[in-house]
Amino acid sequence: MPTLLKAATSQVGRKILTGVTGVLLVLFIFFHLGGNLAIFGEADAMNRYSLLLHDLGPLLWVARIGLLAVFLIHAWIGISIWINKRKARPQNYQVYSSKGGPSKQSLSSRSMAFTGVVLLIFVVFHLNTFAFGDMETILIDGRETHDVKSLVIDTFQNPLYAFGYAFVMLLLGTHLGHGIWSAFISLGLTSKKASAAMYTIGGVVAVILAFGFIFIPLYIYFGGGCEATLIECR
Amino acid sequence: MKLDPKVPSGPLESKWSNYLRDVKLVSPNNKRKYKIIVVGTGLAGASAAASLAELGYEVETFTILDSARRAHSIAAQGGINAAKNYQNDGDSVWRLFYDTIKGGDYRSREANVYRLAENSNRIIDQAVAQGVPFGREYGGLLDNRSFGGAQVSRTFYSRGQTGQQLLLGAYQAMMRMVHTGKIKSYTRHEMLDLVVVDGVARGIITRDLVSGEIKRHEAHAVVLCTGGYGNVFYLSTNAKNSNVTAAWRCHKRGATFANPCFVQIHPTCIPVSGDYQSKLTLMSESLRNDGRVWVPRKKNDDRHPNDIPEDERYYYLEERYPSFGNLVPRDVASRNAKLVTDEGLGVGDSGLAVYLDFRDAIKRDGEETIRARYGNLFDMYENISDENPYKQPMRIFPAVHYTMGGLWVDYDLMSNIPGLFVAGEANFSDHGANRLGASALMQGLSDGYFIIPYTMGSYLADADLPNVDTDHDAFKEAADDSKNQLDRLLNINGNKTVIEFHRELGKIMWDKVGISRSKEGLEEAISEIRALREDFWQNVRVPGEANYYNKYLEFAARVADYFELAELMAIDAIDRGESCGCHLRDEYQTEEGEAIRNDKDFAFVSAYEYLGVNGKLETKLHKEDLNFEFVELKQRSYK
Amino acid sequence: MSTMTINLKVWRQKNTADSGGFQDYKLNGVSEHMSFLEMLDVLNEQLIKEGKDPVEFDHDCREGICGSCNMVINGRAHGPKRLTAACQLHMREYSDGDTIVIEPPRAKAFPIIRDLVVDRSAFDRIIEAGGYVSVKTGAAPEANLIPVEQDVSNTAFDYATCIGCGACVAACPNSSASLFTGAKVAHLNSLPQGEPERKRRTVAMVEQMEKEGFGDCSNYAECEAVCPVGISISSIAKMRKDYVKAVFS
Repeated sequence: MPTLLKAATSQVGRKILTGVTGVLLVLFIFFHLGGNLAIFGEADAMNRYSLLLHDLGPLLWVARIGLLAVFLIHAWIGISIWINKRKARPQNYQVYSSKGGPSKQSLSSRSMAFTGVVLLIFVVFHLNTFAFGDMETILIDGRETHDVKSLVIDTFQNPLYAFGYAFVMLLLGTHLGHGIWSAFISLGLTSKKASAAMYTIGGVVAVILAFGFIFIPLYIYFGGGCEATLIECR
Repeated sequence: MKLDPKVPSGPLESKWSNYLRDVKLVSPNNKRKYKIIVVGTGLAGASAAASLAELGYEVETFTILDSARRAHSIAAQGGINAAKNYQNDGDSVWRLFYDTIKGGDYRSREANVYRLAENSNRIIDQAVAQGVPFGREYGGLLDNRSFGGAQVSRTFYSRGQTGQQLLLGAYQAMMRMVHTGKIKSYTRHEMLDLVVVDGVARGIITRDLVSGEIKRHEAHAVVLCTGGYGNVFYLSTNAKNSNVTAAWRCHKRGATFANPCFVQIHPTCIPVSGDYQSKLTLMSESLRNDGRVWVPRKKNDDRHPNDIPEDERYYYLEERYPSFGNLVPRDVASRNAKLVTDEGLGVGDSGLAVYLDFRDAIKRDGEETIRARYGNLFDMYENISDENPYKQPMRIFPAVHYTMGGLWVDYDLMSNIPGLFVAGEANFSDHGANRLGASALMQGLSDGYFIIPYTMGSYLADADLPNVDTDHDAFKEAADDSKNQLDRLLNINGNKTVIEFHRELGKIMWDKVGISRSKEGLEEAISEIRALREDFWQNVRVPGEANYYNKYLEFAARVADYFELAELMAIDAIDRGESCGCHLRDEYQTEEGEAIRNDKDFAFVSAYEYLGVNGKLETKLHKEDLNFEFVELKQRSYK
Repeated sequence: MSTMTINLKVWRQKNTADSGGFQDYKLNGVSEHMSFLEMLDVLNEQLIKEGKDPVEFDHDCREGICGSCNMVINGRAHGPKRLTAACQLHMREYSDGDTIVIEPPRAKAFPIIRDLVVDRSAFDRIIEAGGYVSVKTGAAPEANLIPVEQDVSNTAFDYATCIGCGACVAACPNSSASLFTGAKVAHLNSLPQGEPERKRRTVAMVEQMEKEGFGDCSNYAECEAVCPVGISISSIAKMRKDYVKAVFS
């Protein structure tokens, strides 16, 4: 039997890893969206949430590093598949089209590499803006903390940022449209019925996530930040 | 030349076990010193190659196709017979033997056929252990269906793809041995000649079909498993690459060719639709289990079949053969289809078709049951004909399907050239004048898995085989001959294509050496074949060159051999002045069109020796008398 | 009977080293009842008469079971019709004046031999690596000693029907051979007979598949769409599951 390392770097092993990391990333995205929605809570809800995370201390770092690893593995395998594809077919077809039927070729599946790379670049900028960006500090329950909420509201008042973010989130939805179902197939889902159901569920989840992430910046932009009905500022 | 069948003595039931008891063995250390060439990797070839390699011999396999898995055994649909008696319906080795001998119209060797029936059960065991997915009952045990020519259900099946699944089993067993290095597999290599040194088969000449290179391969023995010659008719159910070349070249090197006129015309094929037709598609005979064959009683009845009332339908098989009905053997079914169409009762545009109707079966068992049994066959029919067989009867017509004749072999499956073994459809061995359904797979695998591995040992243990290398004059001569023939074909540069010649040859054969034959017609056929053969060598146009992949050059060389074989078939058909099995001579039939067999004068195997072609084919007939010690010769009746 | 005129654009390549290119042909008198390969036969007869080299393509049984033919027709392996090999495709799928582009299956692991003929021996080597049950001739037990649940047997059969044509590779945007490999793995691994070698087989075949230079699987499922016998990508999922089981045991 192959060593774990050899198995993990084999074609099938990498695909399984893509599935595992993909599922973890989707779970993280859910979690992240939950956090984002705190913006609609009472005035300090979002920053309290941020404080809660910081209180995790070293555990937070473990989570961050783990998440980064998962993300990089997912991205690295995705990019290597894309590179291999060129190697495996040095000369392309003059004419190529899908035969339909059970084929899962779609804008979503064909653009996985593109949407994935955009998301990779996006994450760098995203972290730069929201994790390492300049933030005011405020006091909550007498403790000093970063005012993430104001940063978010300020940032999304900038049309370039709001629309850029929304567009990337559209790509995220596109990525997940194929990705969620694909992860389950990669992890060994053999039942045809379950597969068909999963394809629908994956699509719905992708739409929900994308909508959630797109709604926030656009709402802030069009609603005028703290002026917006659903947003309560200090 | 004396053809000695070398049948062991003793009672029928113990001939093979006696043989095995006494057979000389080759020690394991010595096995690896022997190299065996297996030509053709269908059921017989792949199973023989795998089994020989497992025993420890060094094996080299050759196939003209790009993989052993594509051999035409793959196309057999219906099933494989075995005397397991799982249905408790009274089957036994004896009954399978008896049905096969009777089905072959008493023109096969008793001892060989009995051994085939004995081996049948082990084939099923072997295939199941390999993972061949046979049809099963709810209880998880193997299911059977019934087939033409038998009154028991003894046919094992994998939906409509039994040949494919059995071939994949044998192919996989072979690939396992390729992996161990015991088999060296050559794909896209065509055998062009047999190399005979001091009267013993010691190697072959091949053409690498990709590079065009002529190669020499030496060995201690050669096993030929290259299938049948049905494509001499141009239109047949054989695959496009199926051919007689390897067998014919062996014949030209001295191997006698037995019963060449015994050609099976399969009753249930999809009719010809036009001149461009390149091959015919068979619908498994198992369809006759549920389908009813009929034609309109009235000539030129152009009503839609569904509009023809019951009393105006002529269920001719059921009426003429009440006890077997639609399940009469293939030769009887084919001949009757020809009879009714000759009477002008045929259907379809050409009038060369009869109906195979599932209306009553669907009414009785429901469409779902019929779909489960024959779904893929119905789909195939609909795809080709554009008609839905669940809604209207299929149109079927006989087509050339299988050749019982082939290179003559003795009980050891060795030809009259020592060291040249012949297995599967390529030999003449087991089916006499007619093969029963679901018996071809059985024979190919029996030969390959369970006969050749033993008889090969017997031969090698006794043979005195000095070292021969490929520089030997015999190799050089054979290689030069092969090359010269190809050059000659390429240099004619005439104005007719190979396919045009082949199609014309096929028409002569179908019209005059087909379902029914007459002396007059056969004589005409011979002179037409000769004239066309002359024309071929003057006027054929073969494109391209010999030093690269050139399919039409391959075809040309094969058609050249068909031209010689065709004449031999007609000669044999004239010589056999009786009707037996698939060989129906117009002169030898009752007024009702039933065959009249002549056991007194024709209970023999015709084995022809090749003397040359000089305007005409020169041959010498040798007869192997068939002695029936254990069965009584009866006029076949399926009434 | 009315006939059609068909315009063909066919990939011609002299040998593996040649760079190749498209050639245009016009073919008159095409009958709707012709099979696609018969149409190519007619083209070849015409080319031979004109003194040109005919178009080489692999074909044999012409009834959809041998897996020899595998050309890519207007960008689809085996042409437009689902569950149909190119040899079973009929010209009634086309209309007068249509242009049909014919290319060989393109993959690094399937080098082009000439025109539309490619070398698929990589498939043989994948089977060679483990696509069998190791049972010597004569070593088999009585067949009914191995009962197999009917559903299991049917599922195994569905996977076993692979004809090895390579359409899955041809159509896969990544040129992956996962459906081919998965089908054999799933066929044998589903059955009790295949159980003793399940782990070894799965790993060996997966490794060989990669060694041959096929691409990765991205679950496009285009392979299932073009498969002439409709093998499901659930075979690939099964292969992965068994691979994980093999690695962690």
